[in-house]
Amino acid sequence: MSDDAAIEVRDLVRVFESRKGFLFREVVRTEALKGVNLRVRAGSIFGLLGPNGAGKTTLVKILSTLLLPTSGTAQVLGHDVTRETDWLRPRIGLVLGGERGLYSRINARENLRYFADLYGIPVSERERRITEVLERVDLSSAADRRVEEYSRGMKQKLHIARGILHRPAILFLDEPTIGLDPKSARETRKLVRSLIQDGVTILLTTHYMFEAEELCPELAVLSRGRVVAHDTIPGLRSRVGGDRTIEAEAYGFEDREVDALRALPGVSKVASEEYGPRTRLTLRMRTGVTGVEHVKAALREHPELTIRERRTSVEDVYLDLVEEEAS
Amino acid sequence: MALAAGEVSRLRTTVASLRLAVLQFMADPQWLVPSMIAPVIFGLVSFELFRGAGPYFLTYAILGAGMMSMWGQTLYGSGWATGQDRVFGTLEPTIQSPSPYLYVVLGRILWNIVIGLVGGGIVYGVVVVAAGGPPALPNPALFVVLFLFVMVTLASVGVLFAAAYVYTRYAGFIQNIGEFAFYVGTGCMFPVILLPFWTNPIALLFPPTWALDALRYVSIPGYTGFGWGWQVDLVGAVVSTAVYAGIAGGIFHRVERHVLEVGNLSEY
Repeated sequence: MSDDAAIEVRDLVRVFESRKGFLFREVVRTEALKGVNLRVRAGSIFGLLGPNGAGKTTLVKILSTLLLPTSGTAQVLGHDVTRETDWLRPRIGLVLGGERGLYSRINARENLRYFADLYGIPVSERERRITEVLERVDLSSAADRRVEEYSRGMKQKLHIARGILHRPAILFLDEPTIGLDPKSARETRKLVRSLIQDGVTILLTTHYMFEAEELCPELAVLSRGRVVAHDTIPGLRSRVGGDRTIEAEAYGFEDREVDALRALPGVSKVASEEYGPRTRLTLRMRTGVTGVEHVKAALREHPELTIRERRTSVEDVYLDLVEEEAS
Repeated sequence: MALAAGEVSRLRTTVASLRLAVLQFMADPQWLVPSMIAPVIFGLVSFELFRGAGPYFLTYAILGAGMMSMWGQTLYGSGWATGQDRVFGTLEPTIQSPSPYLYVVLGRILWNIVIGLVGGGIVYGVVVVAAGGPPALPNPALFVVLFLFVMVTLASVGVLFAAAYVYTRYAGFIQNIGEFAFYVGTGCMFPVILLPFWTNPIALLFPPTWALDALRYVSIPGYTGFGWGWQVDLVGAVVSTAVYAGIAGGIFHRVERHVLEVGNLSEY
């Protein structure tokens, strides 16, 4: 394992078996991870993107010692996740989030007290640390309320508080803002950003592209159990053909017009989509080679043309990669 | 601050789990029904059932109803609490913590023993009030010691139910089928010796059978039971409980490994 790697995964495969039928049971095998390779630098926020069912949660569970891989190896902090669980578990924080995962009939402070004991936080430090994390996640005023009275956002904060309670060296956040209202989601992202200042390595899974863009300097895209891309955000943009995107809309385009656009210098991709009576052409390109004026010139026969230029978003990159993998 | 698993005190895990069980009990008033109200009903039913059945009918009534109350709490409650962990989604974070889950279960069992004893006490009180006086016990001290030991033997079976709940979400199915069979088969309601002979060797596989037989020996003069006296019963109970404790330790380790292989910890 490289010196600065917090996570190193090689050829990781995970197959789930389920049984169907009552008398004659048929075994159904689902390959959730199909040879994943991944490396995450220590002290960074690493984003793991992917559609539903891509294998993100499966990978997180393997890395956090909650699931065994079928084959391949995974090391966290230089230790094997299948053989060195005793060493790893106190150093790992896991936030699976959601409505479940907490004792809802007791209050937040008691939830944290219980897990502080399970993690062996010294009794002399326990109360101070609980107060500290409750303040950090902004739950101090609700600390003595039953968790069942909490909103979804408050529960999410409590999940995070539990995940960081024992000062883990590495934190796994599985879709931390899913289902949250915009304000709670923004607060959660702010909290995640602040954690990196403590020197914690964070692996965050999400399918919100803007979230990945905002939080993760480096990310991997997981699709159908495979890593289809692993790079920095600028690296991923150039990988899909450019950091600029131009979208042109009109009532249909001729093939020759599309070919003309493809022939423009610096244009790497032209994709066409139908929107009711209108067609949208999406051009991926590098900055400074071809501009809006060139595209307008190529499509001058359309008086109803609307055109806009923007930076290629992580969502564009993600969709390109996932479509590429699917095809 | 992070500690290795070996550094996390097992006693602290047990106490934390016991504390959590108390808090959850206090937070959920529906538990009053099985733990406080049911023993009153068991006591009255048992009193009517055994009334006039010889000079020691009161002892029979107390043992029968008391065990019914404690059996449910100690055995059923221990497994059920783990099933609840699945439902709450707390099984994953608990297993992921450095504390061995066996000690989490142990804390819950201790609380269930306390509640079971309270239930037994309520039954005793109800029967005594109904009869107008306490039963004659030849050796009250030994009775109390064996009574407590019966709880330990019940708990030893409860640990296995808890392991079953970690293993699969369908453990409730097994427990629901087994509960009444074990209740009758181990002699909670009436002596096992009254059952067909072929059931006796099966009954002796369970620690509570030995402990309950010993308890009847010391509380009911003339009781013949298996015919080998309370001392042999006590040895049998200690040995079988030790075997169960050993099995539980080994099983938990394997069950935890199994669920990581299967990946069913989040299912409920």
